[in-house]
Amino acid sequence: MSPLLEVHKLSRFFGGLRAVNDLSFTVSSGEIFGIIGPNGAGKSTAVNLVSGVTKPTSGKVRFQGTDVTGQPPHKLVQYGLARTFQSTTVFGNCTVEENCRRGSYLARYPGFFHSFFSTSKAGEMRQASDSRVAEVLEWLDLHRVRNVRAADLPYGAQKTLGMAISLMAWPKLLMLDEPVAGLSAAEADNVRDTIRKIRAEGISVVVIDHNMRFMAGLCDRILVLHHGQELAHGLPQDVLSDPNVIEAYLGRRYVKA
Amino acid sequence: MNSTAETVPVISKVRLGRSTSSALIGGGIAIVAALAIMPYLLDERFFYHIAILVCFAAIGASSLHLIIRTGHVSLCHAAFIGVGAYVSANVVMKLGFPFVGGLVAGTLAAAGLGLMIGPVILRLTGKYFVLITFLFGEILRMVFVDWQSITGGANGLSGIPAPAPVFAEPKYFYALALLAATACVAVCGRILSSETGRFVNAIRESEQLTECVGVPVIRTKVMIFVIACGFAGFAGALIAHYARYISPPNFGPLESLNLVIMNVIGGMQTLVGPLLGAIFLVLVPEFLRGYVQLQHIMFGVILILVMAFLPAGVVGVKDWVARRMIPHDRRGEQ
Amino acid sequence: MLSMLTNPTILGQIVVNGMSLSSIYILVALGFTLLFGIMRVVNFAHGEFAMLGGFAMYYLYAVFSLPWVAAILLAPLAVAIPALFLEWLVFRWFYQKMFQSMIGLLGLSIVMIYSALLTWDAFERNIPAAFDGILRFAGVILPIDRLVTIGVSALALGAFYFLMVHTRIGLAMRAAAQDVEIAGTQGIDTRKIYRVAFFVAILLAALAGALYGQVYAVSPFMGERPLFVAFIVVILGGMGSIPGAALGGLILGFTESFLGTFYGGSVASYASFGAVILLLIFRPWGLLGKPE
Repeated sequence: MSPLLEVHKLSRFFGGLRAVNDLSFTVSSGEIFGIIGPNGAGKSTAVNLVSGVTKPTSGKVRFQGTDVTGQPPHKLVQYGLARTFQSTTVFGNCTVEENCRRGSYLARYPGFFHSFFSTSKAGEMRQASDSRVAEVLEWLDLHRVRNVRAADLPYGAQKTLGMAISLMAWPKLLMLDEPVAGLSAAEADNVRDTIRKIRAEGISVVVIDHNMRFMAGLCDRILVLHHGQELAHGLPQDVLSDPNVIEAYLGRRYVKA
Repeated sequence: MNSTAETVPVISKVRLGRSTSSALIGGGIAIVAALAIMPYLLDERFFYHIAILVCFAAIGASSLHLIIRTGHVSLCHAAFIGVGAYVSANVVMKLGFPFVGGLVAGTLAAAGLGLMIGPVILRLTGKYFVLITFLFGEILRMVFVDWQSITGGANGLSGIPAPAPVFAEPKYFYALALLAATACVAVCGRILSSETGRFVNAIRESEQLTECVGVPVIRTKVMIFVIACGFAGFAGALIAHYARYISPPNFGPLESLNLVIMNVIGGMQTLVGPLLGAIFLVLVPEFLRGYVQLQHIMFGVILILVMAFLPAGVVGVKDWVARRMIPHDRRGEQ
Repeated sequence: MLSMLTNPTILGQIVVNGMSLSSIYILVALGFTLLFGIMRVVNFAHGEFAMLGGFAMYYLYAVFSLPWVAAILLAPLAVAIPALFLEWLVFRWFYQKMFQSMIGLLGLSIVMIYSALLTWDAFERNIPAAFDGILRFAGVILPIDRLVTIGVSALALGAFYFLMVHTRIGLAMRAAAQDVEIAGTQGIDTRKIYRVAFFVAILLAALAGALYGQVYAVSPFMGERPLFVAFIVVILGGMGSIPGAALGGLILGFTESFLGTFYGGSVASYASFGAVILLLIFRPWGLLGKPE
């Protein structure tokens, strides 16, 4: 079986800076794949390249066997590749429910004409999407706060809502950019449970973070990125005991100790 | 997750907001309806004239409101009105088409121009969009002055015929203008209240996030921009055949700015804002007739005061537009 | 056209015109970009301060008959010192609020234009030339008033350079232009920086207006052109970039002088507007600015 996502020798240069250089990895169906690395290692650029936010300088991205390199994000969502953002995860000014409605463009929007005249097609799509919103809110335990303004939610719940918005498009693969940055340990555990729930539905997940403890307990496989390049790649316990990785993270003097 | 869910009280803030905004819309409709009937009660030529100007301003301001709702403030909207006016006047006067032909041609010309520049300029973020539309408006104004065979140059075009002889009388033209303004405002309102409006709001609040849930952001913005420019051209055609004389200053940067002001002082949150702004900006100068300088000075002072001290009166501006203009790193991520 | 280019008279004319236009443009644009870089204020009223500079020059030199040197020194001060009151009354509310500043200061621009119209009238006033005559140099004819414009601007730009590079306050201003928040935490008094930057910006604009008014004429509407110039120059060079303003001013001045000589002013305007629009599309942060 061919992998869900194949990234082949992906590179992005900003001027002379090689933000990501020759990055290759694959993600299979139902897998939680982690990309880890110190700040400035190029993790966010890597997500941006795969999700179409930034165009790669060279390299290929294949999704379910189709070449999707350089496609804009809204096209990639149609293929089934969704993502969340590190900072702007939600629409702060509207309710949790409205956030999810906005996330369900593909299922909900019947086109300008149908929407303008509120045709029966528009009504059907709206109903279907509303029931899916209710379903997802229940699934991720957000239904009790569905009428709360997103900006009034605790930070951890906002991160969960961010995932809910992306899940409205029924992706096959969800990419999460630093889902636990700025969260307390308890909130991070909640997010980890949510990610596992998402995987249990058969959705593959790519997680980007620099928190080793969080990533080791969550991911099936981990890739370590350092100065835009792959430093190590494999099972969490192997990768995290790799002396190169420890050196990159903690500095040379910790390697022997 | 359960614990966080329970600690947050479910507030009905949003419902509250909705009821006040529907009261506002209701009040707005009542005011507009009253103003619509008023000239007929007063039955005086001057009042018909003022009411017609309000209708034109309402089309201009509400169509600009569509663009503003996508998060872009255009400073060349009056130039698109000018395109509609000149095209319609030429189609009727030089090509001999009836008024309806001019109206359609003017609308299409402005929409077409919007379609040409929209995909390029709508990629720019807030402040650069303001700058580029300011320059584009200035270029169009220069074209209006320089392309003498079509526009009559700085002297303008005169002798433009009325839509039909009967409409030369303001009393009857007002009916036409009122119908046009109502239709335009209704279409704008319907677009914003439909599913399209939901995703327009989403685009304004976070373009990146919206793109990443599958919304074709540029295409949606271009569509709204083209519709708005089309309405501007439509208004221009009506203006040309009402005023019967048009010249470049009618469509210059000051006029574009006036349309922005209508949106700003009326409030950018709902469609009622630009309508109230349009009424205010047409009526007040009439009270200050004969004091043209004072009138401009007063507008300037109002602009300063509103922008400096009433961000709550123009809730939208601060929250929607300013946010997109503040560089990312200043936003404070937490 | 090639033969025209090799003609020393025409070439000299183009260069001198280009230099004098550039120097006025740079004066206007420097202040504009300073206000933007430090306070994040888009000063739509910048041209009106140039207009006031023109009127100040008109009164000092043409009406009160002060010596030219005294007039050109006093005119900018006569505008910039009272303008500090406007800074307190209007500008300070818009610091670090880019969008609000655009609309609010457009309002200020309207207020200033129409107040000027109430005070004076719409007619153009001429400031008599202080220096006529020409200088012949190596077969090239150089109008002296243009040379004086270039000289005065060069002195002002030199003083500005000294202020920015060799004084503590200049260093603080450059730090604030880089990042106001960091500058604030470094113990720099931002309120003071703002006031100094505003004063300098208005001083430069008023000087430009005084020079411009002497070459052309003085009227309440004369600020429109300097504002456009500031706009174009600053977009060209990059919003907030001081070297960018200098580069942009040179490019615009020489383009206008060159195209204006061969094809007329209208073509020059279209070309510069078109170029700036293209630049905005492909490189919105300008030639020397930083992408955000």
